[in-house]
Amino acid sequence: MSDRQRVVALNMKNVTKRFPGTIAVNQVDFDVFAAEVHALVGENGAGKSTLMKMLAGSYDDYEGEIFIGDQKINLHFPAIAKANGIQMIYQELSLAMPISIAENVLVGRLPVTKLGLLDKQKTVEDTKKALERVGLGHLDPFMAIEEISQHEAQLVEIAKALWNEPCILVMDEPTSALSREEVELLFEIIDRLRNEGLAIVYISHHLPEVFRIADRVTVLRDGKKIATKDVADVTRQEVVQMMVGKSIAEFYRHESHATNKESLRVENLTRFGFFHEVSFRAYEGEVLGLGGLSGAGRSELGRALVGLDEVDYGSVNLHGKPLKIKNMSAAMARGIAYLTENRKSEGLALRLTLRENVLVSLVPRHTKGGVYKQSLGTPKLHELIEELTIIPPDPERTMNNLSGGNQQKVLLAKWMAIEPRVLILDEPTRGVDIGAKTIIHESIERLAQAGHTIILISSDLPELVALSSRILIMRQGRLIREMAKEESSEEIVLLAANGEGV
Amino acid sequence: MEQAKYEAIKPGVLRHSVVNWVFVTIGVYLIAIVLLVLGIVLQLTGTINNFLTAQNMLNIIDAVSMLGIVAVGMAFVTYSGHYADLSVPTTMALTGIVAVEMLKFGFVAAMLSAIVVGFVVGLINAVAIGKFRANPIIWTLAVNYMSMGVIRLVWVNKQIYPDMTASTVRASEMFDAIFRLRFFDKIALPMVMMIILVIVLQFVMRRTKFGVQLKMTGAARTPARFSGINVERMIAIAFIICALTATIGGLAVTSLNRVGAWYNGKGYEFKAVTAVVIGGVTLAGGRGSIIGVLGGVLVIGILNNILTLLGVGTFSQDMIRGAIFIIVVFVNARSLRKMGRDYE
Repeated sequence: MSDRQRVVALNMKNVTKRFPGTIAVNQVDFDVFAAEVHALVGENGAGKSTLMKMLAGSYDDYEGEIFIGDQKINLHFPAIAKANGIQMIYQELSLAMPISIAENVLVGRLPVTKLGLLDKQKTVEDTKKALERVGLGHLDPFMAIEEISQHEAQLVEIAKALWNEPCILVMDEPTSALSREEVELLFEIIDRLRNEGLAIVYISHHLPEVFRIADRVTVLRDGKKIATKDVADVTRQEVVQMMVGKSIAEFYRHESHATNKESLRVENLTRFGFFHEVSFRAYEGEVLGLGGLSGAGRSELGRALVGLDEVDYGSVNLHGKPLKIKNMSAAMARGIAYLTENRKSEGLALRLTLRENVLVSLVPRHTKGGVYKQSLGTPKLHELIEELTIIPPDPERTMNNLSGGNQQKVLLAKWMAIEPRVLILDEPTRGVDIGAKTIIHESIERLAQAGHTIILISSDLPELVALSSRILIMRQGRLIREMAKEESSEEIVLLAANGEGV
Repeated sequence: MEQAKYEAIKPGVLRHSVVNWVFVTIGVYLIAIVLLVLGIVLQLTGTINNFLTAQNMLNIIDAVSMLGIVAVGMAFVTYSGHYADLSVPTTMALTGIVAVEMLKFGFVAAMLSAIVVGFVVGLINAVAIGKFRANPIIWTLAVNYMSMGVIRLVWVNKQIYPDMTASTVRASEMFDAIFRLRFFDKIALPMVMMIILVIVLQFVMRRTKFGVQLKMTGAARTPARFSGINVERMIAIAFIICALTATIGGLAVTSLNRVGAWYNGKGYEFKAVTAVVIGGVTLAGGRGSIIGVLGGVLVIGILNNILTLLGVGTFSQDMIRGAIFIIVVFVNARSLRKMGRDYE
């Protein structure tokens, strides 16, 4: 590789992007050669997606310079990015499901006859040509996207991007919905595109993929670039080390309050396609961490335990008695609750008040003969507002007037209000500031200390390692490892989540 | 520092939500008072006569009492975030005509069978919309058409009269008389029923587990589900309440018209939704109150009365009501948008 003449396709020099209160990307240099796959890795919040959006032309206020070829370009609008040959392939498909492959691939550029009617002949030819580049020449161009498989749709998405003759292709987690065989097919196509001279930016946190497909890898952490290395020159451990580093968000490692009194026993719990044969025990006073990559089935497991999702088979015992999970209110009555990872879409009624959002979990308990007594919850409400320092401490404030961190505290307060014996927390500090995070962590520890069982699902590795008494690693729907507090570290968790034992 | 942070969050929103709160809770009665004053001014200037008399005031309430009965039930559907139950007109006609037909088994059988039919229609809507998430507008529109077909098919497009179907004169007379019952010679039964329903349903909406959980469901369906609320059941009950109040309204209309016919109840769906929305139960769900809906009903009543006294025709009145509906929905939607985006 190194003896070949290298042509720089993209060069970002000293780029910075600020958001109110934070610097998402901080003085980063990043370049990609033609005929190269350059991987961009980092933990959640490291700045990968901001950097990518910068390339897509989503920001008109970044600092620094971006060169395409040897020309300086101000990537201030998406149209400028496209005009300069940058094409993006996002994790979520941008295809319209009910319309044909041809219309999706040739969108905006459908060939027409002199009369202004659709030139069917040419449409078929063009689409075939585009599809052949991704090995889908056999597909009927007039089939609707919803009639083809997920992985074919992913490839159609690539065909669509390629039809615009890009010189730089940016792919964000393109394999998240694909099976192993399909991933291999995709990699063959990427290999071919590289040989054709394309510059490819490959964003992923699946390290095995990065080592399989990339020539170079750049590690971002907390918005800064840590290093750019030839893949041949680094080991996976070294990359993980760089990703985790000595994070500024290093937390005080909480002590374990786990007792040996079993509170939850899960046996062979299975929901086909999401999690399989999951068995574990949790104890009073324990913070049981559940680590793994997104899509490993952790949230689905949490939702199933409280009856939000159906289970195919398996059993759950709560304090020695079998828990029949019919619906969530039955689970709540037995003292098990689930805090969702999607604060805004699943967690809070944004138009309702703080009081209504917190006390909704107590409505069944404070109802006598069908009549609900809201005033019964007031002491608890004030107690929780104080304990979690919710700002402003005004119960009548509607939720969309609160900051993200305080909304998250309200969501936690909703479940602390019923004092569940087992509390499942799914990403309890996602997208909140460090102040709120610390407060939430302290509350989690107090709950554990008081003998509650906490199941902590978190992709925030420092948080997971600092709080958990024990960590279970889930991968592709199965529990693959258990580690005690003493042997857990961010590196080990990340490696295990990627399917690598030490 | 945190303190300063929250002060900085969207001050405009706060001011706006206060305005909205005033508008929602007492605003509708303010509108009613403005209309009353308008009527008085028109009377003083000699444009209309006999507006401000005890009898006319009673007439106003009398005229809208059946609308009120239907609207307070409809309010639960809107509150649940499902806009409106458009099957209300035919539910009214169907329950009425069933009652008249069943008079041959006596008065009690007639009343009970009407209630059963109303409940079944409500249950069909409840299952389709609550459980299977059918689009409420399209579904209830279709149910309205289908039950219309049932009426026309079964009764071969005929109207039926209580005195022809009833087995005894007594049953027919009771059916005719029941909704003509007047207390103290002045206050008609529908008026009393409306007021009782307002009080009971206001309590149901505000103070019961069902009402509180329905509010959460209407304001944010998915978060409600993730809070352990059986949202399907909440929505189902809302549609059943609506069908049952439509049944009472249908019986009253049929009794007062002394005829069971497919057209009984025509136009009630739109008038009811207008009253509900003017009354502050926004189409977005989870807001407003039954007391507010009563205000909305009174506003419509006073407006109709003034327009009639002015000699404005029925069709022009319809146009005016339609325009008011559009304005209110527009204002509501605007203020909700300013409050910030909702999910779902």
